[in-house]
Amino acid sequence: MLGQVVISGLLAGALYAMVALGLGLIFGVMRVLNVSHGPLLMLGAYTTFWLFQWLGLNPYLSLVVSMPLLFLVGVVLQRFFVGRVVDAPELSSLLLTFGISIALVNLAQLAFTADLRSVEYLTGSFLLGPFAFSKSRVIACLFAIVITAGAFLFLKMTRLGKAIRAVSQSREVAQVCGVDVGRIHMIAFGIGSALAAAGGTLVAVMVAIQPEMGQVYTFKSFLVIVLGGAGNYPGALLGGLLLGLIEQVSSLFLTTQVNEAVAYVLLVLVLLVRPTGLLKGRAQ
Amino acid sequence: MLLPAFCLLLIALAVYPLKGTGYGVRFMLQLFMWIALAQSWNLISGLTGYVSFGHIAFFGMGAYTAGILIVKLGWPWLWASLAGGVGAFVLALVIGWPCLRLKGPYFAIAMLGLNEVLRVAVSYFEGLTGGGSGLSLPALYASVPIYYAMGLVALAVTALAYVIVTSRFGLRLMTIREDEVAAEAMGIDTFRYKLYAFLLSAVGPGIVGGLAARDQSYIEPISVFPLIMTITMIVMVLFGGKGTIWGPVLGAVLLFTLQEMIWARFIYVHQLLFGAIIVAVVLLMPRGILGVLQQKYNLPRTI
Repeated sequence: MLGQVVISGLLAGALYAMVALGLGLIFGVMRVLNVSHGPLLMLGAYTTFWLFQWLGLNPYLSLVVSMPLLFLVGVVLQRFFVGRVVDAPELSSLLLTFGISIALVNLAQLAFTADLRSVEYLTGSFLLGPFAFSKSRVIACLFAIVITAGAFLFLKMTRLGKAIRAVSQSREVAQVCGVDVGRIHMIAFGIGSALAAAGGTLVAVMVAIQPEMGQVYTFKSFLVIVLGGAGNYPGALLGGLLLGLIEQVSSLFLTTQVNEAVAYVLLVLVLLVRPTGLLKGRAQ
Repeated sequence: MLLPAFCLLLIALAVYPLKGTGYGVRFMLQLFMWIALAQSWNLISGLTGYVSFGHIAFFGMGAYTAGILIVKLGWPWLWASLAGGVGAFVLALVIGWPCLRLKGPYFAIAMLGLNEVLRVAVSYFEGLTGGGSGLSLPALYASVPIYYAMGLVALAVTALAYVIVTSRFGLRLMTIREDEVAAEAMGIDTFRYKLYAFLLSAVGPGIVGGLAARDQSYIEPISVFPLIMTITMIVMVLFGGKGTIWGPVLGAVLLFTLQEMIWARFIYVHQLLFGAIIVAVVLLMPRGILGVLQQKYNLPRTI
């Protein structure tokens, strides 16, 4: 029983980590908490659904469409909206991205209706000794690991990745060294959105797709980056796995309804007890 | 000039229920509610800059305190609503004590989280609160008395805002907003004053929550803890001008009227329009109407 729970937790956690890395990247680079992160994930899920519905495209293959598409959406959002409030007090960016968030959800309701949709693909489970795991969750976890590793390699190895990390450490110094900060902001927002889209594509195979599916991911992602330490990118990984584990373990003891609140309670506790996160993040 | 006009307006509002239609009275009653909510949010967030993203928690706390007192103990609604204010005050003390040490987006999100925790807690304790199926209050047609009570709360919170903004206490709060470290260095006990402002900002929504519960005769967790109501009051304050005395009133009047007149006809794109308004207010006039006027015509700070 416990083994099953731990492994399910880790499977879910890898996905959380990837989605949260996207939010954390935006937060780290711009100090903007993007409330519309969840709705961007929802758009990723719908992309996958329609490609599957119309063209019969393999849902996992649709990653190559959903990620670039949402990258563009992210760049546009940053260029025309969020970029204008980067230096304003946090109220501006919180409200602005909230406005974008409800507008996106409403647009999705108008365009796609509020019907529950699902991608019927890869049902069934792998059996491994005494444990059973749904195939879609295992595959999603593998993809999440690959994409997250790719994002880390990009941040560590490439010049662009280094520029992004430089801006998130100190915008002024990066600017002095010749980094085009405005462009880095756009790229970071784009990559963050693309990671959300990847999350959307991967959960599309597992859960019902509907316009309001995304919101809960915004909050969980924020919890993950606070757990790991804001501005500390490897911390997001640890935070994601932890959240997955805690949610699965607590679901053994709590009803579904109460389990919803676990993430919120956890967030408030972590903020109060260890606001720098488990791995040391930038102090608030 | 302004004072007589204001007194005339108050008299007109006081006699309005004698002449007005049932719809008109209910419209004004809800407008008073929004004024009280927006003004309360302004007390903490407009003055100290600490963004409370879960302020509706106090409204919900007041609604449930009053609802339970009315249903289980048979209290009269006026006392129950005042008790709702007390309940919200206690809640603010419990969560303000730890959370006001957090800064920036962390405080905002912690407040949001607490609101959600409260909503789930209310659903969980079914014996007391009726859980997810809600709490029905005994039928009572009291729109007119509730109209006066709601109006008085709106007036009281606005008067409180006036007293605070024109006092040393208000100056301390605004110093915290501009630069908390500097405020501390000047010898202001920032934590204490933030807590005072937070407590004061919780009482109004608590009482209003109790009155709204009585008015609607039915409350359920999702109807009294909705994030969208917090956002609405924030946008009202921002639209009118945050940190001013009359800005929240102006914002509430304009936005609520707009909502009733226009949005009700566009139910399907309601959220889209609201989102667009939020984006427009944040990008085009972050200082709000009064903030812009203040700057342009050199109006006094205590407007």
